[in-house]
Amino acid sequence: MFMLLTAFISWWYGDGWKSVFSSYERRLNDLSETFSVRQLIRTLFDPWRRIISYPGASITEKFRAWGDNIVSRAVGFCVRILFLLGGLISAIAIIIFTTVEIIIWPLIPILIPIFLIGGLII
Amino acid sequence: MSQTVNLSSQRAKEARLGKRIGKTGYTICVSVTVASAGVSLFGLITGFPFALTFLGLSLLALVPALWWKRRLSVLPPKGKTLDDRLSLDVLVRLHSNQQMQPQAMWSSIQGHWQAQFFSNHLLVGMDAVTGSLSTDPADLPAALDVAAQIADQNQSQTIELGFVVAGLMLTSPQFEQLLLKIKSQPSDVMVMANWLGRNLRESRQSKQSFGGIGRDWAFGFTPLLNKFGQNLSLSIAKHGAHFGSLTQSDGVLAVEGAFNNNAGAVVLLGEDGIGKTNSVYALAQRLIEGNTVPSLAYHQLFSLNATDITSQARGAGDLENIMISLVNEAAHAKHIILFFDNSQLFFAEGPGTFDAGQILLSVVQSRAVPMIFAMSPSDFQRLRTHNQSLASLLTPVTLQEPPQAKVMEVLEDAAVLMENNSKVLVAYEAMREAYSLSGRYNQDQAYPGKAIALLEQSIAHSDNSIVSAQSVQKAVEQTYGVKVGSVAPTEADALLSLEDDIHKRMINQTYAVSAVSSALRRARAGVTNPKRPIGSFLFLGPTGVGKTELAKAIASTYFKSESSLIRLDMSEYQQPEDVQRLLATGQNETSSLLMSVRQQPFAVVLFDEIEKAHPNLLNLLLQLLDEGQLTDNSGKAASFKDCVIIATSNASAQTIRERVSRGESLEAFAGELTDELINSGQFKPELLNRFDDIILFRPLTPEELGKVVQLMMAEINQTLASQNIAVELTAAAVGAIVAKGNDPRLGARPMRRALQKAVEDTVAQKILRGETNPGDKIILDAPDLTL
Repeated sequence: MFMLLTAFISWWYGDGWKSVFSSYERRLNDLSETFSVRQLIRTLFDPWRRIISYPGASITEKFRAWGDNIVSRAVGFCVRILFLLGGLISAIAIIIFTTVEIIIWPLIPILIPIFLIGGLII
Repeated sequence: MSQTVNLSSQRAKEARLGKRIGKTGYTICVSVTVASAGVSLFGLITGFPFALTFLGLSLLALVPALWWKRRLSVLPPKGKTLDDRLSLDVLVRLHSNQQMQPQAMWSSIQGHWQAQFFSNHLLVGMDAVTGSLSTDPADLPAALDVAAQIADQNQSQTIELGFVVAGLMLTSPQFEQLLLKIKSQPSDVMVMANWLGRNLRESRQSKQSFGGIGRDWAFGFTPLLNKFGQNLSLSIAKHGAHFGSLTQSDGVLAVEGAFNNNAGAVVLLGEDGIGKTNSVYALAQRLIEGNTVPSLAYHQLFSLNATDITSQARGAGDLENIMISLVNEAAHAKHIILFFDNSQLFFAEGPGTFDAGQILLSVVQSRAVPMIFAMSPSDFQRLRTHNQSLASLLTPVTLQEPPQAKVMEVLEDAAVLMENNSKVLVAYEAMREAYSLSGRYNQDQAYPGKAIALLEQSIAHSDNSIVSAQSVQKAVEQTYGVKVGSVAPTEADALLSLEDDIHKRMINQTYAVSAVSSALRRARAGVTNPKRPIGSFLFLGPTGVGKTELAKAIASTYFKSESSLIRLDMSEYQQPEDVQRLLATGQNETSSLLMSVRQQPFAVVLFDEIEKAHPNLLNLLLQLLDEGQLTDNSGKAASFKDCVIIATSNASAQTIRERVSRGESLEAFAGELTDELINSGQFKPELLNRFDDIILFRPLTPEELGKVVQLMMAEINQTLASQNIAVELTAAAVGAIVAKGNDPRLGARPMRRALQKAVEDTVAQKILRGETNPGDKIILDAPDLTL
């Protein structure tokens, strides 16, 4: 029993706590992957789903194609930036949650008796 | 190292605690955590007095849940000692009062899938393994040492349960005996341990990284490609992939390297079956796993099939439009690699075919879309001649036939897929047999494709959903018509009475029949050199004494059909160019010996009247008898290892006739006759030496010719059986026919003519005159015959 208790304490304040630190990188990488952050940034100003107009011979047609492509790029930019913003908010939430987890982690074993007894006393 | 498991170690205790908590304990803890947290939150909002206590309770349940989830249920290895490295799967199965000896260890772990992986694939029952293991505690450390070595070999810090199983098996002399009894080797256990190690490593490293949910917003639409092509990446992402060792193959890495070095298009070169298509699938798997060079990150692989595109186009112009649209779409969408499987079909020449060479040339020049072509070296050579500009822009990556160990790894990966898809168990002996037999009988494809194809065919012959070596043998027997399986009792009886069966249609020539029968028995029992033909014989003797008839009799009795006789009349091969005809390839080459043997590898090959052949053909025969194979003009071998080779010759016929008529026995002058053949320059000594036996046929006596007449009569009666008429010859009639048909120079050959004239004509007249009715038996005497 004593050996198991020692094992628990050494894990909680050793590898257990370390794993919370390392989860920063893992969680942010997963988030970046899920929200396709790298591709969306790289193609931020590209036309929306590559829908491109090809200019004809006349100046009117060239102008119309240029306008269409500008609109396509604007739509693409809006959709991508909105999605990236969603990713950014999620990243902030992950950072806050993980930071809180890191701070609280070593306190949890100490807080248990305090809360259990304190709750009865108060 | 020589150590045993310390059941009181911290990891062992943690493992047992983790087992006790289990998933149920974890679920309870999480439930209590959530419920208590809820109550606590409610209390904090409403002012409920024990809110903090419930928060404490929530944390109290959370702590063991976290400990179990992040530590006890995984228990990663830590350190170099056995206790630090033993897998959790092993530790949880060992009790605190466990007997530490091999048999008890096996009994504890045999229920795990990794233990079953070994027993199933080796086709060894669990009880048989138990019975073969030692009960001596002193034997366990050696087994664990081997397990640790296997883990090191597999670059695994954890000593997996499967490695312990392998250690127990490899250190048991009784288990080795057990393996030898079932025609397996101890090295098979090692191979399987490495197979398991590779699977575990790959499954742990496997991670899909295909661009996330916003990927399609970064790249373009591909409606046409979706319609005309197959998205390999999507297919692998949806259904999973298991290309295992192929993802690390030289070919796949070379393709990646070429694109990383700015190649616009790569051509994968290799023979059919070498794995060109699978290499591209393996590349798609690497791309999905994000395990690739930066320039290919997040690329999707689309496979285009020339037949599909052609079938959906309305004309040549339409085809070009579709191709241009497909390539444009891929270029605009970005991050797409186009794969042209069987690329030669895209560059076909001639009327009614489709040549996309010019369209693809401009794309490759502009580097608008990365492309991979797959074709054989000979097709690439044709492309060089036909479209030099395009060929020079392609970066060639040649796939080499892998060595046996690599082929076996690919087979192991393929077996896993077959087991999942067909719900069968592929025994390791089946894989080994598929490698060996496909190498022997399939000369048209390269490894590993031919071995995989054979293993797939063998699924249809599985017994109780187990694909064994026998299943593979049955598949080979069905596909190639050869006998490779073990000898069944009925077949053994037939082999032992082969002489009797042959003599049912052969009169006398006892020595010849016996020599050939013995050769067939030796081959079937597996005691001959498997790298040479089953048997090779030179039949010497006068015309009409049964040389060709014996070849036919062997084809009919042992090879089950006279159509298994491949007969080559050597008088047709007297010019040097005639010899080339024998080695020609192509479906229309009806006189090609190699084509005949490829279609019918289990046959009697008869070189009739060999003395008339061109000397080049005799040289060819030397190679055939030596190596059991001949190579065609394109370098592909055709195997004669399941053939009986018979050459006949009338050389020295006169000498044989004279010496036999003087009363000498064949055996007495056989050696002298062989010397005479060499000295007279009729045959080279190296050719005669390569035959298993030189068999002399003696002229038939009048009594034997009489028996031949009776055999021929039996054939005539078989024909007449459909009319329900039978014919019988009296002894006088037989004597008359022999007297008429006997010609010492031509042996029994004129006998058929004499019989036809004497019997068939007589019977025909009787039938036409209405003198014979169905059910009649005609007895012909000498005076009745029209001689």
